[in-house]
Amino acid sequence: MTRAPMTLPHAVTGRKLLLWVVGLSLAVVGLGLLCSLVGQHRLTVGIWRIRLYRGAAAAVVGAALAVAGLALQALLRNPLAEPYILGISSGSGVGVLCGLALAAHLDLPSWATTPTLAMVGGLATSVVVYAISHRRGRMDPYVLLLAGVMINVFNGALILVILQFTQPTEMIHFIGWGMGKVPEWIWSAPILLIVGAAIVLGAWGILLARGAAFNALGLGDEVASSTGVSVHSLRIWTFVLVSLMTAMAVSLAGPIGFLGLIVPHVCRMLIGPDHRLLVIVSGFGGAVFLMTADTLCRLIDIWTGMGELPVGVITAMTGGPFFIYLLRTRRGGGAL
Amino acid sequence: MNQSPGHVLTASKVKFAYRPGQNVLDGVDLAAAAGRLVCVLGANGSGKTTLLGCLLGRLRPSGGRIELDGRAIDSYLPRSRARLMAYVPQQPAVAFAFTAAEIVLTGRLSHIGILGLTSSRDREIGRAAMEMTGTLDFADRMLDELSGGEAQCVMIARALAQQPSVLLLDEPTSHLDIANQLKIYRMMRRLADDWAMAVVCVSHDINLASRFADELVLMRRGRVVAGGAVAQVIDREILAETYGVQIDLIEAPGGSGPIVQAR
Repeated sequence: MTRAPMTLPHAVTGRKLLLWVVGLSLAVVGLGLLCSLVGQHRLTVGIWRIRLYRGAAAAVVGAALAVAGLALQALLRNPLAEPYILGISSGSGVGVLCGLALAAHLDLPSWATTPTLAMVGGLATSVVVYAISHRRGRMDPYVLLLAGVMINVFNGALILVILQFTQPTEMIHFIGWGMGKVPEWIWSAPILLIVGAAIVLGAWGILLARGAAFNALGLGDEVASSTGVSVHSLRIWTFVLVSLMTAMAVSLAGPIGFLGLIVPHVCRMLIGPDHRLLVIVSGFGGAVFLMTADTLCRLIDIWTGMGELPVGVITAMTGGPFFIYLLRTRRGGGAL
Repeated sequence: MNQSPGHVLTASKVKFAYRPGQNVLDGVDLAAAAGRLVCVLGANGSGKTTLLGCLLGRLRPSGGRIELDGRAIDSYLPRSRARLMAYVPQQPAVAFAFTAAEIVLTGRLSHIGILGLTSSRDREIGRAAMEMTGTLDFADRMLDELSGGEAQCVMIARALAQQPSVLLLDEPTSHLDIANQLKIYRMMRRLADDWAMAVVCVSHDINLASRFADELVLMRRGRVVAGGAVAQVIDREILAETYGVQIDLIEAPGGSGPIVQAR
């Protein structure tokens, strides 16, 4: 016979949250410094600065995609949801192609075309997806999912049409963007990084305060609503924040697949499904994952001399097997 | 105002239509007082679940008025409504692998602060709710590792953790065996008697409902055919008309009222 406990276990306490935040912040900063010391050139202050900026960009993009993925999975009650399902990356792709076409005729700094237009394209798409899924004052999660899939197909076709009329030299730029890369040029436009970081931190903070509501939402709309969650406003706000974060990440680094799906999953398997903690841990997890993968890209370049691989290749090739390993070895912890 | 004193939840002349001109609810009255168990019966499609949706504030009636604790239901913020009224769904389901204890503690949401952190008092309340429903022994197990009856008790404990005055249940026994059905009805009875809650339960089981409830509300095509004390509603003619089948009332051994059997 087991003795009944006096109170219930598994409580996430304020102290626990604070410890996670402080511990993981230190880990990310430490990792960033460590990664910045590795590379193919002799370390000078100038190079170190470039690498630090790049590491910071990787952290911001990684955190944005992971938190966006987690929030979408909670919102749609679908563990297979990921940020690009809203059509944001394909929308950004259209934006980037238009930007490249524009850049051929205008003399603009590089950050003013690709990232800015990727942001505009991504956000424009998310507005369309929102308009489709929002009917009679309500947002239907299934329609949202379908709208995203549909818009992705539509944007894909649009990209092919634009490519048909694009010069091969410009096409290479687009393909480069489409493979996903942590931006090396970010040191030359720190304002973009600052704005991006501010968006991600703000959205992250707001979503952090929604952790308990996400938990309740896992029990269904009606139960969540009867528990005190404004389900409708939670959906809209989460959608807006996820769109902003994803568009920001895509505009900085292009579409980096898999991260938004896999990092929340791995975190869920490691620490359980409680979103109050998951929102924090997933964000830092995404930052650590992308910083490590990006550094690995640079290391592989040193070892093989074949040039830098797109970071998306590394995230998929390392994350995929690790994900499957966790799935096979940890039963129940992160049920699909 | 036709709200009589003591009624925590009242619906008067409630109308609702998913499409204009096709009323799913057509002037429904219902009143639940503290310490009373009210069971809503009726054939499939009679509007029971729609009525529950209106009572929960999820659906907005096109006519009539629903009051919770003397105030119109739509004047409440979800948070303040949740402190007065809780809900148990037909079938327990959870998207992620939460333990029973974690699920019960989600019931504290309307009582806790912005970060959603539970205090030791919240956890004591959650524990008491689990003790009452007999779920404490499997507090650490996942919902999908529990039997249907155990999982439904966890959902009731979750609702009790809200410390509500009104508890609404949507066919809570429809997937359960007879032992668990009996257990849930006994539990609802105890919540009315010992916890002074107003319990409103939508049900298909006329016999269990008439055995345990204080009042029955019998619905047909969006209207209340009969409502009030059990003896008034359990009538052969009324039931036959409501369900469209021949009904026999068989006297139960021990004199606990007639057993309803469809012929």
